[in-house]
Amino acid sequence: MTRSAPRAETSAPIRVREITPAEHLGFLETRESASFLQTPAWGRVKSEWRRESLGFFDGDELVGAALVLYRQLPRLKRYLAYVPEGPVIDWADDDLARWLRPLAAHCRGRGAFGVRMGPPVVTARWSAQQVKDGIADDAVRRLGDLAPLERDHVGARVLSQLASLGWRHQGVEGGFAAGQPQFVFQVPLVDADGAALDEDAVLKAMNQQWRRNIKKAAKAGVEVQSTSGVAEALEALEAFHELYVHTAERDHFTPRPLSYFRTMVEALAGEGEELGQPDRMRLHLARHEGDLVAATIAIRVGTHAWYSYGASSTEKRDVRGSNAAQWAMMRDALAAGAHVYDLRGITDTLDGDDSHVGLIQFKVGTGGQAVELAGEWDLPLNKVLYRAFSLYMARR
Amino acid sequence: MSLVLTVDGPRWREHLRRTAAAHPGLVPVVKGNGYGFGLGRLARRTQWLAEQDLGHDAGAGTCDTLAVGMYDEIGEVAQRFGGSIVVLTPWRPFGTALEATADDALADRLVHTVGRLEDLRDLLERRPRARFVLERMTSMQRHGFSARGLWSVGEVLRAHPGARLEGVAMHFPLAHGSHTSEASRLLTDVVGAELPEGPGARTVWVSHLSDTELAGLAARWPEYRFRSRMGTGLWLGERSALTVTSTVLDVHPLERGDVFGYRGRTAPKSGHLLVVTGGTAHGIGLEAPTGDLGLRGRAATLARGGLDAVGFVRSPFSIDAKQRLFAEPPHMQASMLFLPAGARVPAVGDTVDVRVRYTATTFDRIVVT
Repeated sequence: MTRSAPRAETSAPIRVREITPAEHLGFLETRESASFLQTPAWGRVKSEWRRESLGFFDGDELVGAALVLYRQLPRLKRYLAYVPEGPVIDWADDDLARWLRPLAAHCRGRGAFGVRMGPPVVTARWSAQQVKDGIADDAVRRLGDLAPLERDHVGARVLSQLASLGWRHQGVEGGFAAGQPQFVFQVPLVDADGAALDEDAVLKAMNQQWRRNIKKAAKAGVEVQSTSGVAEALEALEAFHELYVHTAERDHFTPRPLSYFRTMVEALAGEGEELGQPDRMRLHLARHEGDLVAATIAIRVGTHAWYSYGASSTEKRDVRGSNAAQWAMMRDALAAGAHVYDLRGITDTLDGDDSHVGLIQFKVGTGGQAVELAGEWDLPLNKVLYRAFSLYMARR
Repeated sequence: MSLVLTVDGPRWREHLRRTAAAHPGLVPVVKGNGYGFGLGRLARRTQWLAEQDLGHDAGAGTCDTLAVGMYDEIGEVAQRFGGSIVVLTPWRPFGTALEATADDALADRLVHTVGRLEDLRDLLERRPRARFVLERMTSMQRHGFSARGLWSVGEVLRAHPGARLEGVAMHFPLAHGSHTSEASRLLTDVVGAELPEGPGARTVWVSHLSDTELAGLAARWPEYRFRSRMGTGLWLGERSALTVTSTVLDVHPLERGDVFGYRGRTAPKSGHLLVVTGGTAHGIGLEAPTGDLGLRGRAATLARGGLDAVGFVRSPFSIDAKQRLFAEPPHMQASMLFLPAGARVPAVGDTVDVRVRYTATTFDRIVVT
């Protein structure tokens, strides 16, 4: 990120008010990218919460936006205002108070006892090689034990400012663990100067096993079919979900119901269709001789592409359907001009004995970077209710 | 016939070596009265430590730098120690700081502490190649930059490519509980400052961190180098190697009602009057507030005041491991003690143990065995 230019002394304070979903979406389109959790569509996915599109105005100009989800406190008409992976504002501003104070005041007016947000800023990065060496090194147990490739100055300033403005960092360990991950794994699709990489360069960065598996899948005749738009996605959804439930049983996690994914497709892919972007959300189905061996969901907003959900068969693992589906998503992101392919959350453990380390190892094979984000931060607006809420979340 | 600090040399030196070996990058603090030893002696001792083979790599720079409290103290140490000298009091554009800054012979050895943007600009105008550490204000709120202040430093330094940044300094309060989270927060401010790349941007000088806290920080910030500034823990860390003794100069029997002393007091009961070496000139009988804010501490202070009002005050002198009372307030170089009837009476020339605060005591003689 680059530092914002010094503002004129006369700049008006920023005001916050509700905007229409259309205005909201229009603003996001002017930005290079934003988290898909900050799109109006995501508010429709999280239908059990009240949602609001907020605009930040400098004078008459719309300069920022937020999707706010209001989560109700049990039996009370008071809410936690949640801004997942947002708000979308100029985080490089050295005066974040002028953005965040009006946001908090607005939420208080809406009955919020606290605000939670996840500033979309990077604080540190580690290379795949570093992560790999860290896993092999018994002395290294967490990502933080390794000196990062870089610590981001802008990210550090955000952390400093949030702490001094009374925001509280929500620790990764314990507490409200249902939040968005603080550590993610990303594959850069542009070089240090911002020039797009080609497929060969992305392949070259992967480890040998990934490259071999991708080749193997192609040789075995695995074909990946990618949907475009709402109708195709809905059509492919049942096949995806069946395999996803199968994966959940095998890997012991609780699957989300088909209806959840249907809502997601209708909202996210629907929003994409409105914008003439049939690939905002797409399903990729990898088949081998007619058998579904892997299925994934990808999302893209502007230059940021995410791998969102994945499922794989227990049979025919040797045809490497998962690698084929991943490669299809990466090529897709490259073709769309994305700057980053985001494999989303990892835990920060590098302990070889930890059960989570397998997930990191899989993602590390892509040759990308482990990225630490600012994490989630809370601003209590009503101390008593906030404390009650924290206790409630801790005991849940 | 003086107040004597006797140091068990082998034991003390072993402690110094062990402490230095356990703290790579250690910066001995040599300030004030030199922790009772005197500035000159500690400067020589630091030089000795710098020349020791401590078992860790030479790059660690252990004891290559000592810290003095004030610019006025530089003269005492500069000839006796050959390394760098960091001054803990922040540089200001007045007083002795300016004299030291103007001294060309010192320029390469002196590391200034800077805590205000205007001082940094001023210092670099006077000495474009000055060496300095940037002090970040801690919860102590004494000296130093705020987070935002530190962010502006980056720009100033980019405009002065000759400036020699040696690190960021943090001086933590003697608080109970851990400093790790505060230190981590302050380090985040350092990252935000975007200091010009170099060892200085990755070195942090800290005081009052326990070994556990230091290890925790080093684990969380693996690319940073932490330099521990240490005074009390280093010089006075092995108390059993240090003994302070006074000499009995005179002994007089005393009956109840007898008049004695400068102020013509009367003895409340019979016993002996002891005249021993050590008085206000050494710091004996002058009490610095201990900083103990607990109820017990405050009660003890009150009780001592009460004793003073009605008669005798507890003295730091002890005979046969029992602390004795002052018969009257101490004088410049001697003190009068009261020994109640029945206690063993020491002879003239005997020595008596004294418990002192080393940082507030001046000894007549220091004997290192």
